[in-house]
Amino acid sequence: MKTAPRGTSSGGPGGLRSFVARRLTLGLVQTAAVVLLVFALTEALPGDAAVALAGDQPDPARIASIREAMDLDRPAHERLADWAAGLPRGDFGTSLTSGRPVAEYIAGGFGPSLLLAALTLALLVPLGFGLGVLAARHEGRLIDRLVSSVTLAVYAVPEFALGVLLVSVFALKLAWLPPTAVGYGTDLIGHPAVLVLPVLVLLARPVCSLSRLVRAGMVDALASPYAAHARRYGVPGARVHYAHALPNALAPAAQQLARTIDWLLCGVIVVEALFVIPGLGTVLLNAVAERDVPVVQGLAVVFGVLTVVLNLAADVVAYRLTPRAGVAA
Amino acid sequence: MTAPRRLLLGLAVVAVPLLLALLGPLFAGEPGPRAASFTLGGGHWLGTDFVGRDVWQQVLHGGRTVVLTALAATALAYLVALPVGLVSAVTHARRLEELLMRPLDVLLAVPSLLLVLLVASVFTPGAAGLALLVALVNVPDAARIVRAAAAEAAARPAVEALRMQGESWWRVAVGYVGRSSLRTLAADAGIRLTGVLYLVSTAAFLGVGVAPDAADWAVMVDRNRTGLFVQPWAVVVPALLIVALTTGTNLLFDAALEKSPRRKGRRP
Amino acid sequence: MNDETDPTTPPEPVAAIHGLRVEIDDRPIVDGVDLRVLPGTVTALVGASGSGKTTTGLALLGEYPPGARVTGEVQRPADGRVGYVPQHPAAVLNPARRVSALLDDLARPRVRHLPRPQRRTAARELVLRALSDARLPDAEALLRRYPHQLSGGQQQRVVLAQALLLGARVVVADEPTTGQDPVTKSGIVDQLAAVAARGIAVVLLSHDLDVVRALADEVLVLRAGRVVESGPAARLWQAPRHEWTRRLLGEQRPAPREEAPADPGLPTLHVRNLTAVHDRATTVLRVPDLALHPRECLAVVGRSGSGKTTLGRCLAGLHRHHDGEILLDGTPLPRSLRHRGRDRLAAVQYVFQDARAAFDEHRPVLHQVARTAVRLRGAGERAATDEASATLARLGLPEDLARRRPGELSGGELQRAALARALLAHPRVLICDEITSGLDTVTRRGILDLLAALVRDRGDLALVLITHDPATAALAHRIAVLDAGEVVEQGPAGRVLTEPRHPFTVALRETIDRLGTYTRA
Repeated sequence: MKTAPRGTSSGGPGGLRSFVARRLTLGLVQTAAVVLLVFALTEALPGDAAVALAGDQPDPARIASIREAMDLDRPAHERLADWAAGLPRGDFGTSLTSGRPVAEYIAGGFGPSLLLAALTLALLVPLGFGLGVLAARHEGRLIDRLVSSVTLAVYAVPEFALGVLLVSVFALKLAWLPPTAVGYGTDLIGHPAVLVLPVLVLLARPVCSLSRLVRAGMVDALASPYAAHARRYGVPGARVHYAHALPNALAPAAQQLARTIDWLLCGVIVVEALFVIPGLGTVLLNAVAERDVPVVQGLAVVFGVLTVVLNLAADVVAYRLTPRAGVAA
Repeated sequence: MTAPRRLLLGLAVVAVPLLLALLGPLFAGEPGPRAASFTLGGGHWLGTDFVGRDVWQQVLHGGRTVVLTALAATALAYLVALPVGLVSAVTHARRLEELLMRPLDVLLAVPSLLLVLLVASVFTPGAAGLALLVALVNVPDAARIVRAAAAEAAARPAVEALRMQGESWWRVAVGYVGRSSLRTLAADAGIRLTGVLYLVSTAAFLGVGVAPDAADWAVMVDRNRTGLFVQPWAVVVPALLIVALTTGTNLLFDAALEKSPRRKGRRP
Repeated sequence: MNDETDPTTPPEPVAAIHGLRVEIDDRPIVDGVDLRVLPGTVTALVGASGSGKTTTGLALLGEYPPGARVTGEVQRPADGRVGYVPQHPAAVLNPARRVSALLDDLARPRVRHLPRPQRRTAARELVLRALSDARLPDAEALLRRYPHQLSGGQQQRVVLAQALLLGARVVVADEPTTGQDPVTKSGIVDQLAAVAARGIAVVLLSHDLDVVRALADEVLVLRAGRVVESGPAARLWQAPRHEWTRRLLGEQRPAPREEAPADPGLPTLHVRNLTAVHDRATTVLRVPDLALHPRECLAVVGRSGSGKTTLGRCLAGLHRHHDGEILLDGTPLPRSLRHRGRDRLAAVQYVFQDARAAFDEHRPVLHQVARTAVRLRGAGERAATDEASATLARLGLPEDLARRRPGELSGGELQRAALARALLAHPRVLICDEITSGLDTVTRRGILDLLAALVRDRGDLALVLITHDPATAALAHRIAVLDAGEVVEQGPAGRVLTEPRHPFTVALRETIDRLGTYTRA
């Protein structure tokens, strides 16, 4: 439209800087909101929080100890201030069930979860891009139809269902791999066979979505007038594919990687439960089952802040990569 | 594969779990006496589960909650997202737009399963509570997509032409902008339903929103895992049904919404 | 450019087409076209849209529409080097890569004979030379930019530089001037003339006869896939042999302008101290005083971005962010059309540049046109449809076409429907924003005749034509010239165009003269 403001400012470094500033502000607000939301949960409990949390064993001693541990006698805003002030120092409060500091729980589960996530991410990018490029290069042919159908089908499958099916085949039927990580403790690196199935399950959804996006972006770019123009002028096919078409698929892929973080966090929780891996997900699920609110809150804050930070980074990368159409005034 | 054939494939894949889920309870009949846990044979077609119930009967009962909760959650999410997205796309008041969309941006920061677990740690939501929770998790993203689709339509000269003709706000917003966004929204609804199915079944697998011994495919997978090596059917059958349900839904929407092939040729 | 080539030694053509026939679904879209492209000359293929000129031009690039059956002979340069400048240059520039990306790829094979260490510098030099040949100053900085950071003119020159760098001996330019204002247009003409002067053959596909006249040595007139007439440009212009050519050239001449109303009386619309802003900060338009009288036609002219569309949108209530007064029959009009009641909404109507985008693609055109009468004049559904049908028929749109959806109508037909939609409001003021740009000559002529008839027949209707097209401006009684948001000149059309005062108007006048077709009635 003629009257639309023209996008001269959006491309330069000034545009990037103001985008980062705006995005940082949003990230800070999001972090604050996560902290508030997590705290508000205990306040949302009907009636006396301590009685509610005591659950099945409402004996007065337990109720009193919960009240004591969570400082429920003090006004909410004071507790919030104390709790929030402790967060940056790594003081997440103490567990209701064991009395140990929450930070200890988090430190204990961090290793295995980080290992799972890092391995998955390290494999995700080459696999996702590789499959996407492979399908796009053979668009419409057998290999493309195969990759496209499989990625579409697997994309939607929940990790736990895929996981038990893989276990049934590879651990039960073929007995190639161990069914769970029981007995290996936190030393997972020493037993790579244990990690194969969990990482495979974790990879399934993100790889599918990433490769579909890369394929779509590249197919579009290859069908575009600018790719036709490069071919018309005798630029070799491989160069058209990788130097001219692929860069156009990068921005949506980076955006998708940001969404993948959410999936990875969810996936890690499920996969740890499924394969009995003692990571943060298992800690969280145990705490939820025991209504150990301080532990749940601490983990929620860690997960939430992690999501905010990673999303922010992915958004900034995507912003840098996004091609902008249109004409400067 | 051509679009009609893919549509048929999607239908075929989704039909089995969907029919089982919706009609299964009608054919399940009375639960028989409990047998020993994790046995095969003995009149039990698919064996028995962790407390000795007939697995086939559990399978017949176990789809309904997943399907209905997912449908309800998707519908609920749109019930909120549609008006919010549409109004913020059409309005000229920047404040209203910010007021509607900003809080949703904040909510987007929380990983969906985490929010579900967070609530589950304090309350004990039932199926309805789970549907509400999953809907809530989906509102921000759905509203953003509604808004983007509607904003694209609202920026077209056709909207100004309609206003120039003195058409009412309602007719412009719903009759034109809403209608023009329909295709995008249908595509999003398909993706969202698949995502909601994922979240509902995963939550159930983790024990949120369901009783620990409920007849529910996801719960069956979780509870019968301990007997996987003795009686795999109690795990594999419900897991396969969930895979068929989610995959089939995805295939179906993907094939149904595929754009008719555009002619790439330019006109002379 | 137009000088005759030496008749004794006929130059060897660099590319040629013999008896080309292209069919899609057994329907010929190009039928028996012969074409010889000589070095250093400009060969123009002229015709309305759908005449087959693009298909013929692309055949020189070795490209055909998908599914086409091709017969005949196409003889391309031995090295296959044919450059291409499309109508929208932005489409062939990769949005995700810097300008240098494709240029470097094109330069690389040309330095392969050099020792490896020297290649990079040599390639860069070739790129810089091509850019300077395409008249792009400050090339180093330009190479680091992304296409969206360039102006439309820069984008076009970058595409031209690519063709030069390729060493193309033929350049096919597809509608390079469509939708451009006269000043930009004249720049493009110079550019293409310079390309031809380098000994490169230029094949110009265009329905813009101004440009064809200014550039072409040889002209082929196409209609429905066939060449109806061809020959040297001068001969064709002086003595067109074929009826269609005569018609095509005739369409170019503006209709005789009606005399301005003798006694203007009170103005219908009066603009006082108008200042419009964008993004609440940048002032984009300043109009101290502008009046529009009944039965008067006012042309608002200026380059793209001069603020003329903003002026039209302020009048129509589509651009709310402005100060000052717009008086309709002496009473102020609310800024936003949301606050204009039914009568005042009906009084000032606006017709959009892109007719296709201004219609709802889901509903039949007739129904959409009729809604104006229903909403703004309280007519019944039935009466409104009858009136719409009659108005559309009068504007040349038969009922069976009007009952279709917008997707099944051509751009020209939709623009007629858009006019009908506005006229059904019985407006006092009708604002037409570039409604003929993007239409081919014959269709444009039809719309212009319609507008002229409107002012003549429609009681005291006043018309505002926002345009950069001289032929459209020639309809007007009065002309206001806008440059960078300021009204630099306004007055009776004859005076403004014959004795321009402001430098911008002088420049405009000169380009119109240079492009050569502006023949005042």
